[in-house]
Amino acid sequence: MGGQTGFGALPAPGAEPPAGADWEAHVRALTYALMDRGLIGGDEFRDAIERIPPAEYLSLSYFERWFAALEILVREKGLLDGAGG
Amino acid sequence: MARFTVGSAVRARPGDPDGHTRVPRYVRGHRGEVVGLHGDWKLPDAAVRGTLVTEPVYAVRFRAADLWGHGGHDVIVELWESYLEEAAGER
Amino acid sequence: MSGDHHHGHDHGGGDGGHHDANIAARVRELEAQLVGAGQITEAELEAILLEGWSGSPAHGAAIVARAWADPGFRDRLLADGNAAAGELGLEAEGYLLKAVANTADVHNLIVCTLCSCYPTNLLGPSPGWYKSFAYRARAVREPRAVLAEFGVELPDSTQITVWDSTAEARYLVVPARPDGSDGLPEASLAALVTRNGLIGTALC
Repeated sequence: MGGQTGFGALPAPGAEPPAGADWEAHVRALTYALMDRGLIGGDEFRDAIERIPPAEYLSLSYFERWFAALEILVREKGLLDGAGG
Repeated sequence: MARFTVGSAVRARPGDPDGHTRVPRYVRGHRGEVVGLHGDWKLPDAAVRGTLVTEPVYAVRFRAADLWGHGGHDVIVELWESYLEEAAGER
Repeated sequence: MSGDHHHGHDHGGGDGGHHDANIAARVRELEAQLVGAGQITEAELEAILLEGWSGSPAHGAAIVARAWADPGFRDRLLADGNAAAGELGLEAEGYLLKAVANTADVHNLIVCTLCSCYPTNLLGPSPGWYKSFAYRARAVREPRAVLAEFGVELPDSTQITVWDSTAEARYLVVPARPDGSDGLPEASLAALVTRNGLIGTALC
């Protein structure tokens, strides 16, 4: 993305809630909880974000991309397969 | 033992690897100068394949004029050793 | 997964559209599923939520104020940011904290083009604009124009260095000490330092 043209002006400062939306805090907590458990790693998390299809990637906000990455990894690692952990 | 030192002329490897990497596209194939050694860190390209590889990371300075064809600024990027090759010759 | 693009709705990262209620429900659902599957516990999630952001721009401001007041500390900070942060009782572990100083000749600007990496453990959450595609794309290519959008106009003679956080270093800009700040106590110096100043999109 560095150097890519066509993105226009920066978003207006102050347009964001100071602490972010509540669901964003939950996405962050979910990510760190899974990392703390060793269920997902930092590099593979970034990799999953990068594997979001481009059109989708550009349409999602920052923490939506985190959530999309979690969904990818949860599916690929079968974290919800079967009953119990 | 780090392969490069401060002042080394290096080139970011060209090409587009299949998997996860931390070489920004805009520096690939471009020549830069090592301006700092940032220690040894786990290589992400290997980590996502489940392999632990640790390499020196270098701060490499690129000139905007080289990267974009215009601009007077510098861009300093951290690059793992395997992302770099020696750049021969004078600027 | 692809949401509608809500133009003019400026939020958080500034890019993309979303349906707040929809995403919130999906997040809760995934949480419940993972807890139900025994992969994580509610208690673990609660603990992280309660902790919130342990970092704050005030930490960066304290570091800068000390560097302005104490030349020896400034030298140590530029040589080893992690150790210098430790001197102030600030935690900086697991990454390389690299302080870069603005001078009369050089202005530093920080970006992460790949994913918006930022020293969150030290400084707390990054600004929404920092995470925007526009900033990630343009900071390395046209820093002067980006700075102008922040109202920062630098003399032509000032060299701009843009640092792209592609590995494990997290950068902290040490702004140039403002004129007229001589004799101010450290707490007052710290009050002059803004979050944007620590990133390089403000002079202080």
